[in-house]
Amino acid sequence: MELSHFTHHQSMRASMVGFSEMCRQNGLSIGLSHTQEGVKTAQLGFIRDPQSFYYGLKSLFCKDLEEEVIFDHCFKVYWKKRKHKYAHKIQQQGKSNVTKNTKASLVMMGLKDDKNKEKPPLEEAKSVSGVSHVDQLKHTDFSKIKTVDLDQLDDLIEKLLKQLNTRLKRRLTHANKGKIDIRKSIRKNISSRDEIINLSYQKRKIQKTKLVILLDVSGSMDKYSFFLLKFVWSLKSHLKNIEAFIFSTHLIRITDLLKEDELTESMMQMSARATNWSGGTKIGDCLGSFNDQFAKQVLNGRSVTIILSDGLDDGDPQVMFDEVHKIKLRTRKLVWLNPLKGMKGYEPLAKGMKAALPAVDDFRSAHNLDSLMELENILSHA
Amino acid sequence: MIPEVKELIDRFDQLDYVVEEELATVLFLMLKLKKPLLLEGPPGVGKTEAANIISHYQDHELIRLQCYEGLDVSTSVYEWNYQKQLLHIKLSEKEKISAEEQEKFIFSDEFLLKRPLLKAITSDKPAVLLIDEIDRADEEFEAFLLELLSDFQISIPELGTIKAKHKPVVILTSNRTRDLSDALKRRCLYHWVDFPTFDKELAIVEKHVGGEVEILQHLVRFVEYLRGQHLQKTPGIAETIDWARALITLNATTLSPELIESTLGCVLKSQKDINEIKHSLTSILEKTSA
Repeated sequence: MELSHFTHHQSMRASMVGFSEMCRQNGLSIGLSHTQEGVKTAQLGFIRDPQSFYYGLKSLFCKDLEEEVIFDHCFKVYWKKRKHKYAHKIQQQGKSNVTKNTKASLVMMGLKDDKNKEKPPLEEAKSVSGVSHVDQLKHTDFSKIKTVDLDQLDDLIEKLLKQLNTRLKRRLTHANKGKIDIRKSIRKNISSRDEIINLSYQKRKIQKTKLVILLDVSGSMDKYSFFLLKFVWSLKSHLKNIEAFIFSTHLIRITDLLKEDELTESMMQMSARATNWSGGTKIGDCLGSFNDQFAKQVLNGRSVTIILSDGLDDGDPQVMFDEVHKIKLRTRKLVWLNPLKGMKGYEPLAKGMKAALPAVDDFRSAHNLDSLMELENILSHA
Repeated sequence: MIPEVKELIDRFDQLDYVVEEELATVLFLMLKLKKPLLLEGPPGVGKTEAANIISHYQDHELIRLQCYEGLDVSTSVYEWNYQKQLLHIKLSEKEKISAEEQEKFIFSDEFLLKRPLLKAITSDKPAVLLIDEIDRADEEFEAFLLELLSDFQISIPELGTIKAKHKPVVILTSNRTRDLSDALKRRCLYHWVDFPTFDKELAIVEKHVGGEVEILQHLVRFVEYLRGQHLQKTPGIAETIDWARALITLNATTLSPELIESTLGCVLKSQKDINEIKHSLTSILEKTSA
């Protein structure tokens, strides 16, 4: 990043333009109007006092609590009287972002493994073409899907999700046959004087269910996390009200990243943010930080919380027990989807999983597409 | 601090509102730039109160719109008074009025029910418009607000576009239950209101309740400690004031475990929190005494 300073410019106006430019380069979304208002602010007398000037520009240029850090750095560098004391910090920030990006490969790990390791092809996933193959793909455990089938799986996910969404919508509208709306009816029938011919109905406003997803991306979930993430991403593009988090040793919110139109773009950004991909698992602690930071805002009486995890926890089962119960108190329904449950003879014996189970409303498997499609039932009955 | 801001702080002080320099600067800027202000922060830190005090300070009417899911145009902007229209048509049946005239008349100001947003725009005197908890409203409503916030005008099909006679001072508050759209944020000044510092909270409690300084100090420290715990519902300033009031009413001079136990409901609003704190009352009291 080019270091800029207000002394590089001739007038106050030019300085402000320079500052806007610098903020923009550092990722703040600053428009022309903001610059104009910045100039106005300075003219209002704010320029006489550094502190007031700082507060004023901050309220103009920051649109989020998180943006304050960036703004602070920019402000200090640009308007500082003497040396660029904080310059190195900004540069470092820029750099670290770049290096993190390369970790994208980690995200795809679940996939690459498949390519490298020559595994005996499983009965279920034999390359048979046609409908039966699609059908089989639905039942195949994610950890056993071959890379060749991936494209087909993509299409299948897309198709099934569309079905799921239309079905959900139909169910919701059909269930709400409304009352007669007198006011509207009268208005509609003004033309016919005393006769009321056309009746209007009042429909109950459909209350949207909020979906909160907590996805485990620790090492033990590697085989599944890629598919599950993909699933979460496609859910986001179909349903509006989704909050998503990933966790292994700590918790990261990814709701904003899911907005990207391209899955790969989402993934790149995610891996830039997630430093703990494929790490250990501290489910209890992560759920704890979810409870502390986000639960109050994100969860309410209409939210359905879904935890996607294998429940293999390194932490204290008691913590897990407490935190899962806390979530349970705030949400309408708590669903735990466990990929391991798809295995024959699986029983939730892991200490953490055992501790969490009493608070969970619904404990299901999530190892193949079929099991994910069962989400429909969860969502529509919520 | 520039003198204008200092003046504003003093003036607010007379109105019994304690404000730190940053918020005062932002409020001053809001009035000067005539730009909406978005206040974000946890519940109970005085976001709504800021709008109240601005309306006092300016001596303008405060028009408040409480947002909720499903808020729509007919409850936020305007609605035609259908019953009155019908009645009027019935009554004027005998008179020979052309349909056009009739229509013009029943879709006039007289039959218009003004809701907060329209009221704020059409009021003869400048007003302060408080759009409370905008994060609860739907995204569709947010999009609608954009037109209002950038041009201060509203379109009503039957009447045409109504422009604001006076630009109202607009304050939006949000508890951050969801992210607001960038477009909306771009049009606003932004300020994050956090839980107050010890000194500020003490000043607020002293202003609102009064009483012995020692017990108030202890009480504020106690609440500060509570905020540091992982409680289900973190107490805001309003709770501190409630609690102080309760203790003053009970003529308390010092904080004792029994006293706190019987009044803890003023500040903690969840059974689980109360039980947790009750267990360690004496140790907390020791930690928070000066």
